[in-house]
Amino acid sequence: MSTQHPRRVAVTGIGVIAPNGLNTDAYWKSVSEGLNVLDRITREGCGHLPLRVAGEVRAFDASTVVEENFLVQTDRFSHFAMTAAAHALDDAGIGSGDPAEPFSVGVVTAAGSGGGEFGQRELQKLWGKGSKFVGPYQSIAWFYAASTGQISIRSGFKGPCGVVASDEAGGLDAVAHAAGAVRRGTGVVVVGAAEAPLAPYSMVCQLGYPGLSTVDDPDRAYRPFTTGACGFVPAEGGAMLVVEDEDRARDRGATVRATVAGHASTFTGVSGWERSREGLARAIRGALDEAGCAPEEVDVVFADALGVPEADRAEALAIADALGAHGTRVPVTAPKTGTGRAYCGAPVLDIAAAVLAMEHGQVPPTPNVFDICHDLDLVMSRARPAELRTALVLSRGLMGSNAALVLRRGGDSARQDRAGRRTPA
Amino acid sequence: MITTEVTFHELATLMKQSAGVTVDPRELEQAPETPFASFGLDSLGLLGIVGELENRYSRPLPPDAERCKSPREFLDLVNSTLKAGA
Repeated sequence: MSTQHPRRVAVTGIGVIAPNGLNTDAYWKSVSEGLNVLDRITREGCGHLPLRVAGEVRAFDASTVVEENFLVQTDRFSHFAMTAAAHALDDAGIGSGDPAEPFSVGVVTAAGSGGGEFGQRELQKLWGKGSKFVGPYQSIAWFYAASTGQISIRSGFKGPCGVVASDEAGGLDAVAHAAGAVRRGTGVVVVGAAEAPLAPYSMVCQLGYPGLSTVDDPDRAYRPFTTGACGFVPAEGGAMLVVEDEDRARDRGATVRATVAGHASTFTGVSGWERSREGLARAIRGALDEAGCAPEEVDVVFADALGVPEADRAEALAIADALGAHGTRVPVTAPKTGTGRAYCGAPVLDIAAAVLAMEHGQVPPTPNVFDICHDLDLVMSRARPAELRTALVLSRGLMGSNAALVLRRGGDSARQDRAGRRTPA
Repeated sequence: MITTEVTFHELATLMKQSAGVTVDPRELEQAPETPFASFGLDSLGLLGIVGELENRYSRPLPPDAERCKSPREFLDLVNSTLKAGA
C-alpha cells in the first residue's frame, strides 16, 4: 500500500430528478439555458398556505419507474432518490441490477426532512381512525434514512451504507463521506440526496423559517445577491452520483467525469448569517487544502445563494476571504435560482451542474438575477464559455452548517503527477 | 351463523394492498408452504396484513400471527382464531 498513490475518487455516474429536468441531459439543457421553472405551487392541499412559489418536480410518474412494492412502502423522496440512483448507475455502466460483487457497493444519502407526505397520510389515519389503522411501513418510510436503505435493498448492495444528517450542506458532506469510504477501500458508493418537501405537512414545517420567500411572483421570489433578495424558494428533487476509486474506474473502462478533490465543513449555528462568513471561508480553505488547490486554480464557484441579504453578504465576503483577489474575478453562478432549493438535494444538483459545466466548458447562468449588489462576477442571463478544470461548490444549511467541495475535471487528474504538474497525456 | 374464512385469494389481495406485492392467488394455493419472503413479503408487510384483518373482523389475532412464515401457517392460524371466536 505504501508504494501506491492515495486513492483518488472519481465521479463516474450522475442521475438527476429536478424541477427543470427528469434526467441529466434535460437538466443540463435547462441549466445551461438559464431556464426558470419556479411556479405557483399546484400540489393538492397547499393552496391556502402562505408559501406560494416553489420548484415542483412535475410529470414525474413514480409508477412508471419504481416497482409497486416500493410505491406502497416508501415516500416520494425515496422514489426520487431510487430513480436518480438508477440513472447514475446506468450512466456509470454498472446498472442497477444485482451487482457481481455486492459487498463492494455502498450507499450514502443525506436528507433534511424525510418522507413528509407518507408521514402525513399515516398521521391522518392515527388521529382520524386510531392507532390500529397506521400502516407498519410508516416506521421506515418517513425516516430520513429510508432512501439509503431502499436503494441498497432494491439493487442488492451490501457495502458500507450511511446517512448524513447535517442540514442542507449534508448533500456535500455525504459526498465527502462516500469519498472517504472509497479511499478506505470500498469499490463504489452511490451517493447523493433527494427531497420531497412540497406536501401540506412538510410545507407547514417550513413556514417557520425566517428565510423562506413568500413572494408569489415566480420571477421575483428568489433573487439572491440582488437588492430585491427576499429569501429562498424551496424545491423538490435531487441528484445521485456514482463515485468510485479512479484506478478501478479506468481499469473497467468507465468514463471519469470528474474527481472529488477536497471537502471541508464547519458549523456556525443559527444566531445570525454574518457568522457563516468565517464558517464558509474556513470550509473553502479546508477543501482547497485537501485538494492541494491554490485559490487561483478555482475556475468557477457554485454559490449557496440563499437569497437572504445578510446571508448573501456573508457568502460574498467568505469567497473574498478565502480566495483573495481571485474571489472577485472568478465566475460565480447559482443555477438553483431557476429551480429553487431542494434542501440536501440542492448542493448535489450543484455538483451535477459543476461536472456538466466542466464537461461542456460553460458556466451556466443564474436565472432571475440581473442586478447584483455584491463584488462578485456572477454569471447572469446566458451561459459563459470558459475552460473549467476546477469547480468549487458551496452550501449552507438553515441551522448553521457550512460546506465546500472541490471538483476536478475528469481526465485531467490522470495526466497529473503527484506534485500536480501536468504532463502530456 | 356466518362462517368467516380468509381465503388464499383474499390473502393475495391483502399482500398487494398492504405491501405492494403482486402474487397470483393460485400460486399461493398450490405452494402454500412457500415462505412469504419468497413472494417478496417482508415482516412489516405481514404485520400490516394482521392489522388489516384485526380491523376488518374487529378482533385481535394472536401475537404469533405476524411471525408466521408461510401462507399455510398464517391462514391456518387466522382461520382457527376467527372460527374459535365466531
